[in-house]
Amino acid sequence: MKRRNQLNRREFLAGAAAAVSFPYLIPSGALAARGKSGANERLTMAHIGVGGMGGYHLRDMVGRRNRGEVNIAAVCDADENRLAGAVKTAGKGVQPYRDYRYVLERKDIDAVVIATPDHWHAVQMVHAAECGKHVYVEKPACCTIEEGKAMVKAAKENKISVQVGSQGRSQPEAYSAHAYIANGMLGTVSKVTCWHYASPADNNPVPDSDPPPELDWDLWLGPMRWRPYNQRYCHGVFRWIMESGGGQIRDRGAHVMSNAIYFMNADNTGPVTVEATGTLPTKGLWDTAIDMKVVYTFKNPDWQLIWEQPGEKIPYFDQEKRKRLGIRDGYGAVYHGEKDKLVVWVGDGQVFTELKAVNYKIPAGGKHVYKSPGHKEDWFQGIKTGKKTIMNIEAAVATANLCNLGNLSLILGRKLNWDPVKQEIVGDQQAWRMMGRPQRHPYHL
Amino acid sequence: MSISNLKKVSLAAGSVAVAAETVDAAKEQAVDELIVKLKSKDDKARAEALLSAGEVGAPAVKSLAKVMADEDVEVMRAGKRALWKIVRHAGRPGAREERNAVAKELTALLGDDQPTLVRREVLWMLSEISGRRSIKAIAALLSNKELREDARMVLQRIPGRQSIAALKDGLNAAPEDFKLNIAQSLRKRSVEVPGLACVKLVPTKKTNVEPLK
Repeated sequence: MKRRNQLNRREFLAGAAAAVSFPYLIPSGALAARGKSGANERLTMAHIGVGGMGGYHLRDMVGRRNRGEVNIAAVCDADENRLAGAVKTAGKGVQPYRDYRYVLERKDIDAVVIATPDHWHAVQMVHAAECGKHVYVEKPACCTIEEGKAMVKAAKENKISVQVGSQGRSQPEAYSAHAYIANGMLGTVSKVTCWHYASPADNNPVPDSDPPPELDWDLWLGPMRWRPYNQRYCHGVFRWIMESGGGQIRDRGAHVMSNAIYFMNADNTGPVTVEATGTLPTKGLWDTAIDMKVVYTFKNPDWQLIWEQPGEKIPYFDQEKRKRLGIRDGYGAVYHGEKDKLVVWVGDGQVFTELKAVNYKIPAGGKHVYKSPGHKEDWFQGIKTGKKTIMNIEAAVATANLCNLGNLSLILGRKLNWDPVKQEIVGDQQAWRMMGRPQRHPYHL
Repeated sequence: MSISNLKKVSLAAGSVAVAAETVDAAKEQAVDELIVKLKSKDDKARAEALLSAGEVGAPAVKSLAKVMADEDVEVMRAGKRALWKIVRHAGRPGAREERNAVAKELTALLGDDQPTLVRREVLWMLSEISGRRSIKAIAALLSNKELREDARMVLQRIPGRQSIAALKDGLNAAPEDFKLNIAQSLRKRSVEVPGLACVKLVPTKKTNVEPLK
């Protein structure tokens, strides 16, 4: 692909210097050197996007602040009602903002937690990196291949720590499954099949309307092309719109397939072909797949990853425990090896696997795999030591690419060839153009 | 040429003409059937129509644009989805003639006689499949206040020198409040734009929410 010109930090600052009214951006560093906070200092956090998972992250961070681990300096949302709620949650001394760029201007903020809708993730993460902030960004990492490349580049160039919210990798039983597979207990794994219940259909469509007064619709849309407001295209339900949410495969696929490529040691590669079939809605506003099957073929080593919606559900084996813990076994994956197979249920904040893996002890001389201290703890370690996080941006983009290529193959109605080294679609000009999506001014990479 | 050969040639030409008429009639019929099904209140009929819409191709484009402006929002959506199916089908590798035919029909829909919502959607369809032949019509929309942002993003996406040239011309002619937008597209296409700073990190939107005191 011809390299598209992406404004780098130097160019940006040069341009910014020319704009008289523009304040020169100084990266995070109030506490210590850029890219690191002082070892004994508290990180100062800001939260961008405080509804849904963003609300969860804020409450979690308030707990950490109360335990003396972090400071919280700012909360930000395009919805004033949500913002007002976040101010109450965060308490005194926390500044509210509608526009996240005010947050990025602040020199005292070291790190941001981004939990906006998917179509904002890449732009905000890249901008935060360019301003020297460490980033925890919700999954999926990105909506296009081009966005993913920009995220990897921005993290690397600005030497920031990024953790993406596919937190399944940090769960204890994910470690068990990983260790079990990595030590060859299944033999060579040739196939991973994922199941997930189907997407909802928009059975109560409503006409477009004016946005509610508390919502800055222009800001909510951000990088996406302009469209009129619709209640069925906003909080929560944006998930069922292809351009903003990408459906189940980009939502839960970013969990289940994240674990799959982690366990299969495929974070730094990708499939060579992607072929999707499925059913798209025929009424209502939502346009993501109701049911769907995607076959990803990997080479060297050869294996297949199959996303099936709904696929063949495997109920969790202990019904009493399922009820007690609220185990959501509506999605998961089966790892098919030459000797045996292993089921891993759920994949996000919950990961459960079979007892043979839970009880497995790595033998002397066996292969050790990384045991996460917790998803946010792993990120904090990344910030303080510079180590790669468990769901680093490269891995998260590799996962998001699977989701996005699956959707692309489905809407194009054909098999795609993928170059996992160059990260490009091969031999299909239309699909190639769709690796990127031009973004609205000024909400762009 | 002998009389018998002339007869043979004219018979063959007649057969070709008849065959072409038959093909045209079949295409018309396919378009008519597609439109009827898309306008149906029966979800199943609409779903069937969408499944087969891609292959109907360029002859259906103009009719589908009318469906996209239908008052019934579900019919409108069905028309839009069917047209997208055509665009995605025509864009497949090895279907250059089909792709060009669809792009030509789409380009003809960019004029003032079409509703803005149709033109906006058509612009994005062209962003996936069009070549240089559509550039002039797309670039003309850089001076349309409602569509100029879509038009410049679409030009940004279409490869080739012509789209860059159209953006440069657009920048020269653009009013002050749109220059930065076009400059961004040019930067994305590796063109230097001196004197127009990027403002992507400049905050502009204030909140009314107060911090707790």
